Amino acid sequence: MTDSVLSFQAVSKNFSGLRVVDEVSFDVARGSRTALIGPNGAGKTTVFNLISGVYPIDDGKILLDGVDITRLPDRERINMGISRSFQNIRLMPHLSAIENVMLGQHARARKLGSLLFPLGWLPGNRWASEAADALAQAGLGTYPGEVVANLPYGVQKRIEVVRAMMSDPKVLMLDEPAAGLNEKETGELQLLLEGASRRGVTLLVVEHDMQFVRSLCDHVVVLNFGKKIFEGPSSEVHRDPGVLEAYLGSEAVGDAA
Amino acid sequence: MLILQQLISGLMIGGIYVMVAVAFTLTIGMLNFLNFTIPALFMLSGMVAWGLTTVGVHWALALLGGVATATFASLIVERFTYRYMRVRYGDATEHALPLVSSLGFLIIFEHLVLVILGSDPQRFPTPFTSADFHIGKLIIGIPQLVSLVLALVIVWGLSIMLKRTRVGRALRSIAENPDAATLMGVSVNYIVPIVFVITGLMAGIAGMLFTLNYADINAYMGDNVAAKAIAGMVIGGLGNIWGAIAGGLIVGLTEVMAIHFFGADIVKIPIWGLLLLILLVRPSGLFGHTAIGKGKF
Amino acid sequence: MSGYWTGIVAILCFNIVVAYSVFLPAAAGQLNLGAAGFVAIGAYTSGYLSTDVGLAMWLTIPIAALATGAVAFLISFPMLRTRGVYMVLATLAFAEIVQGIYINLEIFGAAAGYPVAAFAELDIIAPITIVVILFVVFLMATRFGLSMRAVHDDERVASLFGVNTRMTKVAAFTLGGVIAGIGGAIWAHQFNYVEIQHFNILLSTFVLLYVLIGGTQTPYGPLVGAVFFTLLPEFLRVSNEWRFVIFGVIIVLMMVVRPEGLVTRTLVERFYGLFWRRGRTAVADR
Repeated sequence: MTDSVLSFQAVSKNFSGLRVVDEVSFDVARGSRTALIGPNGAGKTTVFNLISGVYPIDDGKILLDGVDITRLPDRERINMGISRSFQNIRLMPHLSAIENVMLGQHARARKLGSLLFPLGWLPGNRWASEAADALAQAGLGTYPGEVVANLPYGVQKRIEVVRAMMSDPKVLMLDEPAAGLNEKETGELQLLLEGASRRGVTLLVVEHDMQFVRSLCDHVVVLNFGKKIFEGPSSEVHRDPGVLEAYLGSEAVGDAA
Repeated sequence: MLILQQLISGLMIGGIYVMVAVAFTLTIGMLNFLNFTIPALFMLSGMVAWGLTTVGVHWALALLGGVATATFASLIVERFTYRYMRVRYGDATEHALPLVSSLGFLIIFEHLVLVILGSDPQRFPTPFTSADFHIGKLIIGIPQLVSLVLALVIVWGLSIMLKRTRVGRALRSIAENPDAATLMGVSVNYIVPIVFVITGLMAGIAGMLFTLNYADINAYMGDNVAAKAIAGMVIGGLGNIWGAIAGGLIVGLTEVMAIHFFGADIVKIPIWGLLLLILLVRPSGLFGHTAIGKGKF
Repeated sequence: MSGYWTGIVAILCFNIVVAYSVFLPAAAGQLNLGAAGFVAIGAYTSGYLSTDVGLAMWLTIPIAALATGAVAFLISFPMLRTRGVYMVLATLAFAEIVQGIYINLEIFGAAAGYPVAAFAELDIIAPITIVVILFVVFLMATRFGLSMRAVHDDERVASLFGVNTRMTKVAAFTLGGVIAGIGGAIWAHQFNYVEIQHFNILLSTFVLLYVLIGGTQTPYGPLVGAVFFTLLPEFLRVSNEWRFVIFGVIIVLMMVVRPEGLVTRTLVERFYGLFWRRGRTAVADR
């Protein structure tokens, strides 16, 4: 068994009697780039919500680096090394781009001194520089002081990714990071994520854009109606009959055949 | 016996609180905003009615004039507050915008009345002061009893309207999900003012009944009622009309009992204390509330 | 400065301080319509320490501030269970209960009021006010201030990024209480008399309005709001009641025309941009 950084073990979750996640188990290998795919409503975002601690699980276990984080409050999970972006943009609308990115640093800035350090008064300080550099490297360097609510969709989407990366995570979970991005933006996003992967960050990505998934990810987990129906290399996913049936008629798998 | 008499007084005044509490709860449930103008509408109804009698208008017409003024004022509030609420489920301070506007209108109406009609308390020339009937040693004022019954009938009628009529259904669909309602063809710009009209009517009629029964009116009467009506709304559960009925009556009883046992100075504490307790321990009220604001996850 | 304007400046200082006491919780997403309750506690505490205990002002003011802060700290925990309109009502209930209690306490003069021994000149009140302003501006520029604003915008996500939202809100609410205590002490030592009738819902409403109309996005909003509402009556030479009517109209118009308040982020950024071109936003010139 390869070294698994994230282990999702027989996890189930009900919402008002509806079984949204049904005894799903999968492992994410350290340093891998894993995609979590499936038709709409399959439970992918719920899996993310369970891993990051938004909802408690009803059954099963979640292990991060061997440590059981199942009961850990959401606030602590980022300390353990889990960071994420969101399907619908969840940036702080009244904060600027750089401030949103600096929020990603919060988990690393726990000492009282860091908490009371006047970030806003010393433009060259290390936190602001780090955040500004991160934005610049992602190709978003022209926007730091701008309030994010005023920024275009594609820019906001990528700022969210930068924010998530700022906590120096072990596992970076991205929920449809390429949704709504044009080709150029998708390319830049891919470069950004490949860079993170090379630095040792494990990627777990929910995506519908199959081309993006195929070029970025080496491993795929497929969900349908809350159950896992496939887990394996991305080169094989489009041949699996179960997956084909789930996506039957959909363009996504059709163009792979 | 004295206790029973107090209970009856409590129910009587409670009937008036019920109507104002329902006005509050309707606005919160339907439109997700705490309309602080309502107590001012209550006051406007009474004070304008009194003002009209001083220029020779017959008391019945004056009362109707008061109610009409309150309703009209409510529509002005709609025009300048709710219509501009562009963000429906905004963050903490964005939520406050219509509330702030309604506070602005409260200030405007209260001080306009102070300027035009003065700050002295007045007596409304009601023809009904001593009509009452007796059950054993209990005295029950007829106008108060009529008010209580009238209040309950109006509120009951309102809940029927919400359940059975097309307008009512449209209102409830807007409360559930305004965007979906618009997609389904509900004309929000036409329906929402109806809530304000109902609010104005209820507050206005409550003011009218208060004036008829208790005759002592002044520019600050709205402030007195506000606390009790809000407490009634919270006790009954925000957005819950039948709850507001129970809540209003409970508050009326609490008020009268508190004054009887502890004196008038202390009455604020049990009423607000009860409200605070409910908010902290059982915020959905005794009878449960309708969902206010939708989650984002 | 004439005696009249000294009085106005003293009132202005009071308004600024209490505006900031409401701003801090508001910046973290907690709407407080009970400022009057906290201010009353500060006023009575400092007054009592001055008159009955005989302490000097450099003691009464800080002790009053801490006492009010302690009450705010205790209240903040149950307040965590409330949101939005519920919190507005809960804070209002708190202030009304405080008023109801004080009006019945003979030790504080009940309804007749309570005399305060020591008098504070403007040369004490003004520096205190400036310290409060600087403190809040500082706080909002720290990472803690950033986390407060994150909690205001999106509590759930802030928590996912490691912010302890409960403690952030408790801290903001408590600090707001401390500052309200300072405001109450200023009132007590300026007017040398504390009457509970002044600390009513109208005061709470206006303080909240200074903050919401001034703008909650930056720490300069409450300052502008307080100045605006304190000085405006001086330029409206009309009767007391008409002034309020005009206030009300301005409030309504502001919510229609500029609901985010007078001072917004963008405004402050432009302002800094004017004479600080190599400021924060210049990080972009790379």
